[in-house]
Amino acid sequence: MTGQDERRVFCPVCSARFAPEGDLTEGDQVRCSICGQMLIVRACDNQWLGERRSMLSDDEIRDRVDGFAMIRGYGFNEMKEEIIDGLIGKRDAFGDFYCPCRLEQTPEYQCPCRPTRGGDVERDGRCHCGLFWKDSRER
Amino acid sequence: MTNEIKIFALSTCPYCKKTKRFLSEKGIDYEAVDVDLLTSSEQDDVLEEIEKLTGKRSFPVVIIGDEVIVGHNEDKLRQVLGL
Ligand SMILES: [Zn+2]
Repeated sequence: MTGQDERRVFCPVCSARFAPEGDLTEGDQVRCSICGQMLIVRACDNQWLGERRSMLSDDEIRDRVDGFAMIRGYGFNEMKEEIIDGLIGKRDAFGDFYCPCRLEQTPEYQCPCRPTRGGDVERDGRCHCGLFWKDSRER
Repeated sequence: MTNEIKIFALSTCPYCKKTKRFLSEKGIDYEAVDVDLLTSSEQDDVLEEIEKLTGKRSFPVVIIGDEVIVGHNEDKLRQVLGL
């Protein structure tokens, strides 16, 4: 597979395509540059599809949240563990890691939610839930 | 306090838990409704009430008499409850 589009990988968490660095091979592990999810690359219909690594496990959401913060340069505060417990509660009750501070259980609000992926933290200094912070020293 | 206290919460929201914990620790009775665990028709009724009271969909919502407190706010709870 060659060309720009062909080297994009579809991320099932944020339903978007991103271009990882370097060449891709079936089975490679890459981190989605939009949401921070770790994905296993699969070739399908001449496209690269990302498969969620450790799908729905506690480790998956911890790794995604840490990965997203690392990519964006965001920090956390003392509420982190309680918010992660809430994300795990959402998975147990509603099937996936939706924002624990919202009522909506839709892909848009899969953590990090679309508003957060779209720059809420840059604008407000924090995400809706107060999980991600622009300045980790801020409270 | 003779006012009845009602809390609209989400079962997964850490700030809702903090508000409930705060009131329990102060020995204050309250009625809490976890909105996410209601049936969808019950949810519609409650959401209509919440939107009328607060104009948004943010949790927790604490109702103490005429006072409506949105979010976990210990200072405000202390002030309204005279703690
Ligand atoms: Zn993604």
